[in-house]
Order: sequence, then C-alpha cells, then structure tokens
Amino acid sequence: MFKRFQSIIFALITAFVCSLLLTGAYQGLKPLKIQNMAADRQLNVLKSVNMVDENIRYTVDEIKKIYENSIERLWINREGRIINDNEKKPQDMPIFLYMENGQLKGYVIPINTRGLWGKIHAYLAFEKDGSTIKGFTVFKHSETPGLGGEIEQAWFRKNFIGKKIVNPKGKFASISIAKGKVGESIPEDRRLNYVDGISGATLTGRFLTAGFREILSDYESVSIHFRNNSIRLPGMGSGIPVKTK
Amino acid sequence: MKLTRTKHYKAFASPLLQNNPISIQSLGICSALAVTVQLKTASVMAISLTLVLAFSNLIISLMRNHIPRNIRMIVELCVIATLVILADEILKAFFYDISKQLSVFVGLIITNCIVMGRAETYALGNPPGMSFLDGLGNGAGYGSILIAVAFIREFLGAGKLFGYQIIPNLFYNMGYENMGFMQLAPAAFIIIGLLVWLQKSLEKE
Repeated sequence: MFKRFQSIIFALITAFVCSLLLTGAYQGLKPLKIQNMAADRQLNVLKSVNMVDENIRYTVDEIKKIYENSIERLWINREGRIINDNEKKPQDMPIFLYMENGQLKGYVIPINTRGLWGKIHAYLAFEKDGSTIKGFTVFKHSETPGLGGEIEQAWFRKNFIGKKIVNPKGKFASISIAKGKVGESIPEDRRLNYVDGISGATLTGRFLTAGFREILSDYESVSIHFRNNSIRLPGMGSGIPVKTK
Repeated sequence: MKLTRTKHYKAFASPLLQNNPISIQSLGICSALAVTVQLKTASVMAISLTLVLAFSNLIISLMRNHIPRNIRMIVELCVIATLVILADEILKAFFYDISKQLSVFVGLIITNCIVMGRAETYALGNPPGMSFLDGLGNGAGYGSILIAVAFIREFLGAGKLFGYQIIPNLFYNMGYENMGFMQLAPAAFIIIGLLVWLQKSLEKE
C-alpha cells in the first residue's frame, strides 16, 4: 500500500516539475517564436511577388523593412471593394497589395485550404491585370515529404508564373493542377489554366485544385475590378468603384 | 593510467565505433533515413539528439535510486518528452528555418529507441557522470553516421555541401548529372548498409 502511494507521489512531482519547465520555456520563448512566424509569413508574401531572392537568407529586420516598403495589407468587402482596417466587418477577406514606388503593381491573396493530411497555407500573387499569376508560395503544410510535400519546392511553384485564371474568352476558369505534364494531358486552349502535377501526389493536387477554385471564385469580385481597371484604393474617395481609365 | 584505459573514456568511446547505435545496434534508423538529405538538417538533428540523450541520461541517473520500479518507464518518458519539447521550442525560437525543415522529426526524438534504450540499460544502473558521457558517446556515434550519410547524399544527390555548390558548373555543362536517387529515402538505407559492411569487415581484421 505504502509503495503504491509512494509511486503516485513520485509521478505527481515529476509531472509537476516537467510542466513547470515546459510552461516556462513556452512563455519565455513565445515572443521570439511569434516574431519568427510573422517574418516567415511576410517573407512568403514577398517571395510570391518575386521581391526577394530565394537563395539569400534575410534577417527578421530586413524582411520587415522590405515588406513595409512594398506590401499593404487591406481587406475586401462583399462587393469586391478594397477597404481599410477600420471599415472591416467579420466576413471581409484579407488581401495584400503589392506596391512599387507608390504604384500599385499587383495583389496577393492568401490560400488556406485542405490538403491530404492537413491544412495548406499558401499565397497566390497576381499581376495588376487581375488574371495573370505572378507567383505562388507555400509556407505551411503537412503533406508527405517527397510526394505532396513537393508543393513547397521551387520547381513546382515556378510553374504558376505567367499562368491565367481566365480562359481565352475572359471568363473565370481558376487554376488547376494537371495529372502529369500539362503539355501531354490538357488540350491546347486550356493549357494556360493548368500547371504540371507532381507524380505520386495526385490527391494533394486535387485538394489544391478544389481549394483554388473555391477561394479564387470568392475573390472574383475583386479580380474583376482589377481586370476592368476599375480598382479603387481606400482613402481615394468612397462609394461604388469607378472606372479610372 | 592511460586516458584510453579509464572507464569514463570507455563509456564515451565504445558507442562511437564498436557499439555504435546505428551500425551495430540498428537503433534510430528511421530518423537517419529522413533527415540525411542535407548536411545542415543532419547536423542539427545530431546535435539535438546528443543533447537530449546526454541530459536525459544525466537526469534519470540522478533520480535512479528514487524512481519506483513499477513506474520507471513512465518517469523516463516524462523526462525525455520534456527535454525534446524544450529542444523543439529552442529551435523554433532561434533557428526557425531549420526547425521548419526538420518538421516532425525533432518531436520524433521521443520515439528514437536510442534515448529510451540508454535510459533503461545504462542510466538506471550507473552514476550520473558516467551516464552523461554514455549519452554524449551514443549521440556522437549516431551523429557521425548521420553526417556521413548526409555527406554522401548531398554531395552525390545535389552536388552541394551545407548548401554550397561544390561540383562546378563546368562539370554540368560537360554532361555530369546529379544522382536523383540519393535524394530518396532508400538511398540512405543502402548507404547505411554499406557503412555497416565496411565497419564489420574492418573489425574482423
């Protein structure tokens, strides 16, 4: 009886000391971790618009500086109008505007979608024309390394550059992952809406395709404004978007 | 007495070669396959495991006369898990990009048979100093294999070492190609197999 009691006390003390240590480490290192994660997200936004060299390692401060100079995080409301933080309603979606010397160069939308094993978090960047893809980056996923995990590799992400989310007639067509090479499996008039697939990762590709379709159609309202060149930035008058041409 | 004769030296040195955890005891092979595509990840993994192993041995050895026999494994696991999570947190805070590359494998140090195995067979029966050295030795033995495998895989598979291009572009222009197979997990199996063979045949002589 006494022995059993002793074991329970020992287990309790061990667990208590261990949890104290872990809580301490977790709380103590939290600010650094949050900083790193934020910098990693910013770096990925910058990567998607090709503002940083992928072969160079940037410090947290460098990333922050480039990001603040060229990216503006805003929101879009139901009508596809770009609004400021202070006008934001809960259902509004985030958008990143990519500026160069005060000129609007394009926009980035966050892609958070289901993958095969867990959520895929990525960024898809567009040119100012609202239909051409400027870049694609994945910053968090739980796909199988070597198979679905290849979505984060440069060779896969580079395929997106220059592809379109509209068909030749100008209608929304999303962007899809082909099974195998685009040139072999997709008819010629639709090749611009497809990127090469990853062998051994058909399912990851399918999830990503479905996610793109869903998210991009949500963002269609703002993409149309970019396509018609009728985009209005907040603080430049209010009301319904007006053609700037 | 010569340094090489002391039992402290033996505790440290025997797992380096004649009792190496990977090549002789065949422990911890899973992670050896996964993190050896690049030297950088392999070295970080080797260092993390060595530290976890040394300190888990030290702590368990300090507690060895007080741990009740019936819950000793639970206590060992508790200590190991705490150390691993600490290592993971530290990596996330100071080496974020490396921790992203290592992904789940740091957490999986907990399930690495070497850690639990050394706690059970060595730390429970030996004084703290010796246990600490045994942990360092086993970690170094594991790490040396990891780094050897990663060296071969990164060099042949990508033409790089620690991410720096080693094979000059001239070779590629002349028709040299990287060995894509080295990037895949089975390559690590084959290299480990060859290393075991090499070690065994050297030992016989």
